[in-house]
Amino acid sequence: MKKTLSIVAAAALMSGIAMAKDVVVGVVLPLTGPIAAFGQTSKGGLDIAYEQNHKLKNGDNVKLVVLDDRGDKVEAATAVKRLLNKNNATVILGEVASGNSMAMAPVAEKAKTPMITHASTNPRVTKGKKYVTRACFIDPFQGAVMAKYALDNGMKTAVVVTDAKQDYSVGLSKAFKKAFTAGGGKILKTVLINSGDKDFNAQVSTIKSQHPDIIAFTGYYPEAALMVKQARAMGIKTPFIGADGVGFPELVKIGGKAAEGFMYTDHFNEAAASSPEAKAYVEAFHKKYNKPADSMGALAADAYGMILSAMNQCIDEGKAPTDKECVNDKLRNTKGYKGVTGVINIDKDGNAVKSAVINEVKDGKFAYKTTVNP
Amino acid sequence: MDLTTFLQQLINGASLGSMYALIAIGYTMVYGVLRLINFAHGDIMMVGAFFTFMATAAGLPFTLAVLLGILGSVIVGVLTDKIAYKPLREAPKISLLITAIGISFFLENLFNVIFGGVPKAFSAPDYLTKIFHLGDVYLPITVIIIPIVTVAILSGVLWVLYRTKYGMAIRALAFDIPTVKLMGIDADRIITLVFALGSALAAVGGIFYAVSYPSIDPLMGVIVGLKAFAAAVLGGIGSVTGAVIGGFILGFTEIFVVALFPELGGYKDAFAFFFLILVLLFRPTGIMGEDLERSRF
Repeated sequence: MKKTLSIVAAAALMSGIAMAKDVVVGVVLPLTGPIAAFGQTSKGGLDIAYEQNHKLKNGDNVKLVVLDDRGDKVEAATAVKRLLNKNNATVILGEVASGNSMAMAPVAEKAKTPMITHASTNPRVTKGKKYVTRACFIDPFQGAVMAKYALDNGMKTAVVVTDAKQDYSVGLSKAFKKAFTAGGGKILKTVLINSGDKDFNAQVSTIKSQHPDIIAFTGYYPEAALMVKQARAMGIKTPFIGADGVGFPELVKIGGKAAEGFMYTDHFNEAAASSPEAKAYVEAFHKKYNKPADSMGALAADAYGMILSAMNQCIDEGKAPTDKECVNDKLRNTKGYKGVTGVINIDKDGNAVKSAVINEVKDGKFAYKTTVNP
Repeated sequence: MDLTTFLQQLINGASLGSMYALIAIGYTMVYGVLRLINFAHGDIMMVGAFFTFMATAAGLPFTLAVLLGILGSVIVGVLTDKIAYKPLREAPKISLLITAIGISFFLENLFNVIFGGVPKAFSAPDYLTKIFHLGDVYLPITVIIIPIVTVAILSGVLWVLYRTKYGMAIRALAFDIPTVKLMGIDADRIITLVFALGSALAAVGGIFYAVSYPSIDPLMGVIVGLKAFAAAVLGGIGSVTGAVIGGFILGFTEIFVVALFPELGGYKDAFAFFFLILVLLFRPTGIMGEDLERSRF
């Protein structure tokens, strides 16, 4: 009896040695700095997805190595290098801001390492890249959804607010303008801001003299919150519409009453979650954080899930989950992946084709309005 | 641009300019005495805003919170001096400058670790966020209060400098530290006093900044610190009046670049700094600055 036990123990130990491999997923997020909320919420969702599953089919352990880039492009690129050289990462997950992802992509591309961004929506992130994939829709779609929603609600003239420092905002503004004018709307003016700025009174005064039907804000939430506050303080009642960069609790916390009625397109709203995957995620999220599930976290969970799925497919084919070429191939050819944010199909350019939701700030909460399919 | 918009932009410029002026005074004062560009000034400002934020979050009345914020900044400022700058009194100025940058990074990251990088909503009392309507022109009450506070602080600082014994000691230090020591004055104590004053000024600036733009984060002092520094240099660093003038020039430049060329609004900082370079090309010591070696306030 004793002998069998020790044999079993030894076997377990040996297989343990053979199996206890770590497959490293390198994560780059802005955990601090001006857009820290994106990084923090992404990390929150990622942690949930990781707790739900971090074992591959062959018994290997997935290990997350998370680096903070402080929202800085140079730091983001350096973080990728470090993850590749020091941590031997098989896949890179990140970033949120398109500009930062664009700084990371060439590094991953050069090292022939698959990279998946969960939330960068600028088309240029994946353009011409063989190793870059994304779990979210792209800005031409998002901009078109914004424009269509505004036009459908009888808004004919718009002022566009662009954050000149953010590739995301520049691209999104372009997409919005194109779709808005194509649909018969008129762009009265484009005003530029810089992320990190706090005083938008000059821009707001200019907008006020234009009397638009809608203000299309394509930047991020810190500026959105202050700008809408300054606009309302100056007596502007024009509604704001934004995109996935504004839907953060800070919009309401900082914007206060002024943020009421702020509409925006987003990837996910838990009120619209109907699939079992989404429900399980939302339930786990509530249990862990005791607050509504946000879209950045949901996207990060999906990107992580896609990585796991790709690695498992490689294992099915008898390849190692650390086979970068194989993992990349599977990621780029993801079809019908059932994620938290909906069914994800990756097109030939590495972009996810999926639906968007429109939310509105109501009583300090993000109320779900509608879902728009591609 | 119609008249209403123009008047509104004037008010916007005054509002932003007075903000820069208030912060620039602190920069210029420390520089005037120690010949140290205290790059941590913007971060002390952030510290003041955060202490006030914490105190209000704890339910204290705003006035008390402001006092605690100022006190907190003074303590941090004086500690900074004792720990980081004092050992370098005899060292070359460049070492001190690099230490100041180090302190700046340290404070930013310390607050990042404690509070996280997500911006926090700063709640100001209603009487500070009031807005007057003059026809179609909107006048926030801070546009009136900040210049008053700036003038009050300015006179307070000048009174300390020119009417008190400590002020005399500070002015003497600005000329020659070793000689002042030979006269039996405790130079270190006076320098600590300068840092305490400078930090209190930074805190007041930080609190008003947070009242005007109620979103605070550990990096909030970086950009505005740089702008205030530019304002101080523009006005002639070391000159308190110059700092005020520089602040207003910078504020108006920024606002009117956006107002006149909205398409170029993304480059307003570039314009502001280009203007700074232009001024320095023709007046290397800034607008109010005299010969650097002779100017002491």
